[in-house]
Amino acid sequence: MKFFKVLPFLALLTALCSFGQAEAAETIKIGNIIPLSGPSASVGIQGKNAREMAVEEINAAGGIKSLGGAKLQLVFSDSKSDPTTGVTEAERLINSEKVHVLTGAWNSAVTYPVTQTAERYGMPFIVPVSVRDTITERGFKNVFRIAAKDSWWTRDQFKFLDDMKKEFGVDVKNVAFVYENGDWGVGFAEKWREMAKERGYKVVLDEPYPSTASDLTPVVIKLKRSKADVVFMTSNAADAILLTNTMAEMKVNVKAIITSGGGHADPSFLKAAGKNAEYIFDLVEWEADLNRPGLKETNEKFTKKYGYSLAGESVDAYASMYLIKDVLERAGSTKPEAVRKALIETNLCGGTVGLLAYDCIQFDQSGQNKNASLVIVQIRQKGKDMERITVWPKNVRRAGYTPVFPQPNK
Amino acid sequence: MIGYVESVINGILMGSIYGLTAVGLTLIFGVMKVINFAHGSILMVGMFAAYWFVTLTGVNPYLALFVVVPFLYFFGFYLQKFVIKPIFEAEKDIREPITVIIVTTGIWYVLDNLALLLFGAEFRVAKTVVSGQMLEIFDMYFLWSKIIGAGVTLLLGIYLYWFLRHSRMGKAVRATSLDREAATLMGIKQTRIYNIVFGLGCACCGVAACVLVPFYYVYPTVGVPFDIKAFVIVVLGGLGSVPGAILGGIIIGLIETVGAQFMAATWTEMLIYVFFLFVLFVKPSGLFGLKQDY
Repeated sequence: MKFFKVLPFLALLTALCSFGQAEAAETIKIGNIIPLSGPSASVGIQGKNAREMAVEEINAAGGIKSLGGAKLQLVFSDSKSDPTTGVTEAERLINSEKVHVLTGAWNSAVTYPVTQTAERYGMPFIVPVSVRDTITERGFKNVFRIAAKDSWWTRDQFKFLDDMKKEFGVDVKNVAFVYENGDWGVGFAEKWREMAKERGYKVVLDEPYPSTASDLTPVVIKLKRSKADVVFMTSNAADAILLTNTMAEMKVNVKAIITSGGGHADPSFLKAAGKNAEYIFDLVEWEADLNRPGLKETNEKFTKKYGYSLAGESVDAYASMYLIKDVLERAGSTKPEAVRKALIETNLCGGTVGLLAYDCIQFDQSGQNKNASLVIVQIRQKGKDMERITVWPKNVRRAGYTPVFPQPNK
Repeated sequence: MIGYVESVINGILMGSIYGLTAVGLTLIFGVMKVINFAHGSILMVGMFAAYWFVTLTGVNPYLALFVVVPFLYFFGFYLQKFVIKPIFEAEKDIREPITVIIVTTGIWYVLDNLALLLFGAEFRVAKTVVSGQMLEIFDMYFLWSKIIGAGVTLLLGIYLYWFLRHSRMGKAVRATSLDREAATLMGIKQTRIYNIVFGLGCACCGVAACVLVPFYYVYPTVGVPFDIKAFVIVVLGGLGSVPGAILGGIIIGLIETVGAQFMAATWTEMLIYVFFLFVLFVKPSGLFGLKQDY
């Protein structure tokens, strides 16, 4: 009696198993560990959408030709932004799902231990975004990162300042650092100090402040009296608003304000700070108005499909799928050794990679994309709203726009 | 030099606004002996009310006082009547009503998450006529909205002082605060006094909210940074003392602003707590506190 009750399930199970086996021969599984719930879910879902769109395109175009037109198949698993969950999911994807390549995990804190697991299994791991330097600095053989790393952010801020000084013939002597006193801000300040020393700037103010401060007037008074030419800032959203508004109200005049994404890139910052945010230079990974071929069309397609525009994270995720396609095409095999060899030899230029702010993906010995760079946007008023306009590097600057440097006095 | 003068004045201005956020807390504690953990959330409710009133009608933000303050008075009045009072009555025979504290914590979470659900996590700034308007003296800049805020604080302090000293209702409130049983025997209806006091405490938050909205942003957890300061201020100034709360606020504002001119801004927070511990050590009842066992 009991046997008959179980029978249909057994039949279904066998059917499913055989189905899975039949598919496995001609699909290549890509495991993706990204935050699909929890605090970073919104970026995780952006990455998921971008991957799906890329894989749809690749499969529609005939899949991987050197593997007999094999199709790519995405396997998603939710890290919940939790390192432990990430590691467990990586084990599951490698051992039970038998994926051929892994990507992820957005949160640096998750990527760090997950890449370690991948390394242990010899599984190629592609990191679209995760900025912590050490992810590619542990001598791992299977970890490849597309995005720029942490220390390159501060490097590019100073490079940008050098270029601006040259372009506009303006001299800068005094610099000020104002940053939130968390991991992120303090880390940035450390690098800023080194860079300022190398380039011979005088640091007139080096001020950490608590991100939860209810009043930042004291910091702004100090900044005003410091006679700084350029201010470097690292802020979360709430304090970015408070600082920007207070600086405008107290008429702090500097030649330029250079910020580090984060709170300054938050959409609610522009809304709340309004005109006070004008002329700020903000460093980000990517911006939708980059002067790149094909970007507009891809962005339109993505927006039509998912109802919002591409962002730095989703573009990196999108490009990573094309990187995987290119690698498999050249490897002609799904064996980890062959994939790894092809990854090292990567020299992927133009095409869909051209959506990024730089031309090519090439990895150095540590597995870091050596071409990865960042862009700087300037915030300007357009009509009633504020707009972010890409200004640096010069080859991606929005056509017909000249940045304002130094910024006019308030 | 001019930087220090500017800091001192800005410290007093911001400090009196901190004091304003603490007045309601000290009032409720003084009379009901209840630590209202929902205080910051009630401030947030007031700020959202003021924000929407100003944004939708486009009137002068200080006119919002006439709408937001009565709204928050009744909000507090009925919150006490329907949520807190039943707990109080259940614990009538217990000297330290602990559950009430837990209930106020519950209200805090409910209000914050309700706001998150209704308005989202984004930061909103009300565009008003006084926003960004500065008073400029000798290259020193003071925000008009803070100057008005400090003025409002002073007026509210004077009014509350007069109310508690000289009005009939104020005398009843003080009597209840001194000895609730004896006051009941004298014919004062304790629960009604509690409703009114809780309403008044919340109305004070409404005043603070209207003063803050012209220069501060609004979001669902906006109460938290003010909440923590308010607790320190109330203990520093003396539990239950209205002038103590305002003075305590000014002291905190001064430490924060002037202190930051001599050290990194992150250190001033520590300085506040060091000063706070020092006062508690020297005068455990706070600066204006009575030698009374709460």
